[in-house]
Amino acid sequence: MSILLVGVNHKTAPVEIRERLAFTDEACANGLRQLVDGEIVREGLIVSTCNRVEILGATSNDQLEFGAGRIAQFLDTSGSLPAGFLNAHIYRHTNEEAVRHLFRVASSLDSMVVGEPQVLGQVRHAYALGVEAGTVGRVLNRLVHHTFKVAKRVRNETGIAANAVSISYMAVELGKKIFDTLKGCSVLLIGAGEMAELSARHLVNAGAARVTIANRTEETARQIANEFGATTIRLDQIDQVLHETDVIICSTGAPDYIVTEEQTRKALARRRNRPTCFIDISVPRNIDPAVSNIPNVFVFDIDDLESVISSNIREREREAERAELIVQSEVMQFQQKLRLMDIGPSIGALKQNMQDVARAEMAKQRKRLGVLTREQEEAIESLLMSTVNKISHPLISQMRRFYESNETDSED
Amino acid sequence: MRSLLLAVLAAYLIAAIHSILAFVNKRRSLQRVAEWSTAAGFILHTCALAADWVIDGHYPLFSLREALSFLAWALVALYSLVLYRYRTQAVGAFTMPLVSVLTLVALLFGTNSTNAPAAFSATWLFPIHTTLLIFAYAAFFIVFMASVMYLLQERELKLKTFGATFHRLPSLTTVNDIATSSATLGLTLLTLGIATGVIWSSIRFGRFWRNDPKEIFALLTWGLYFFLTIYRLTAHWRGRSAAWLGVVGFALVLLTFLGTRFLGSYHVFG
Repeated sequence: MSILLVGVNHKTAPVEIRERLAFTDEACANGLRQLVDGEIVREGLIVSTCNRVEILGATSNDQLEFGAGRIAQFLDTSGSLPAGFLNAHIYRHTNEEAVRHLFRVASSLDSMVVGEPQVLGQVRHAYALGVEAGTVGRVLNRLVHHTFKVAKRVRNETGIAANAVSISYMAVELGKKIFDTLKGCSVLLIGAGEMAELSARHLVNAGAARVTIANRTEETARQIANEFGATTIRLDQIDQVLHETDVIICSTGAPDYIVTEEQTRKALARRRNRPTCFIDISVPRNIDPAVSNIPNVFVFDIDDLESVISSNIREREREAERAELIVQSEVMQFQQKLRLMDIGPSIGALKQNMQDVARAEMAKQRKRLGVLTREQEEAIESLLMSTVNKISHPLISQMRRFYESNETDSED
Repeated sequence: MRSLLLAVLAAYLIAAIHSILAFVNKRRSLQRVAEWSTAAGFILHTCALAADWVIDGHYPLFSLREALSFLAWALVALYSLVLYRYRTQAVGAFTMPLVSVLTLVALLFGTNSTNAPAAFSATWLFPIHTTLLIFAYAAFFIVFMASVMYLLQERELKLKTFGATFHRLPSLTTVNDIATSSATLGLTLLTLGIATGVIWSSIRFGRFWRNDPKEIFALLTWGLYFFLTIYRLTAHWRGRSAAWLGVVGFALVLLTFLGTRFLGSYHVFG
């Protein structure tokens, strides 16, 4: 059996094309039933996310080209696009390349943001849909399970997803660098913008215990406060809570500094020099840069956050290189599995044949043996079968070895 | 016992190399190798020390060679504690190389030539005195290392230069906690060590203070760490300045441990 992968992703096709191809869950099941005919495309699976639409198929070895054409055609029609329209955007991978591509996708190496965790869930979902539609067979089953294994390995053995790459998550990351854990930390939001809210949500998910919101209009503050079980204060009450706050996220539209150096010095003395982390995502800045001069106070403005992010992306890329090595070795392993799967049926047939011969010969000579007890009958049966097994075993091993080396040769 | 110590050195070297690689590559499998070989080295080292004790007939902490080997052993013990308590793998990348070097130097010193005078091995107070002090030195090394980590990390956070170490060092709070608890432990050991020394000296020589350079430096060290620990514990004072003091303090420890040999101390041993 051969594996095929045909599709488009964010690198090869603009969103105008991807959105026309995207499959809903329902369309996915119908499409799969239509595509998988048991003749040319034996098995099929559709991975459809906002960044990619990929169809995975299994065909017999001699119908590889044909199968790829058929899948491409299927994509054309399902997107109601003129035939051949997608040619410029589509990629077709076969066998080893297809396996590698799927492994890379599921491990989030092919994602827009390398290391993002959603894609594995999406592949899992695609698999569930395929199973439901009954179009996932022996080959794709193995392939997908191996894919999950690879993705898990990549996530566990590399730091590909270790460092934050979004501004809103930065508060959590920097907080952890300073406080080790955010459990029990208290958070102050100055200004209740969308980004601040998102950051606060991440902090709460990471264990932050108390959120306070200071905003110019109390109405907005209260709305958000309800979501977190937070308390609200007025902007001029910041002094009262500053000393008991660990992380401050500032995002107002105010034209000048809201938190000054002197204010912070006092607060820090009251909190006995326990470290404080200021995150200022507002432009113009709302936290006096001089605050940064105070020991045990860490201030990050929007540019600093961007620079952490770019450092994190570099780190992820370094890790991605290692992930590629894992993928490479797993591709080899899977190819080997696949070859064994191919040879499996012929080995079964051979064994069956040998057993039949043994039984037939026995039947021919049976009369000469006269009357036998049941026990003796069973002994003869097991004798024949074990002889067949012992004779066929080295033969089968030899076949497997020969098959493997032959396959490797033909690939070269 | 040289062959046993060679095996110890080999285990520590493997641990050191894998710790550094684990620090650089952040791989758990490497870390596991490092931890297992540290454990193996520690067990072998314990055997080597016990064998020394039996064969030489005195507590294996008298000559400089013995002191270095014992210090390496104490460092591994404390490093294991830190690892167990804080799960900070980065510590190994800093400790194990030093442990390896100490073991190597101890090996190069060759076999024991100086045999401890009977006076030293006669009383149990003297070995306790030296053991406590060696462990105190080891604890101060941990303070030093945690302080260096703190300073590196803090610098990166303040200057916003997020280099490779940024992703590898433990959090500020963790290293601060390590430094605080090690300083407390070190100070306790140092206090007890000095006390036993004073008692031993007054029993043996009839006076508790001999104006020896080592004694003076030890007292200075004690003062510094007392200051550091009190301030760390009351938590008014932490972070950078405390970390700097941890670094400076260790220089004083080194001077006390090794430097006084050149100032004509009668504390000729480690």
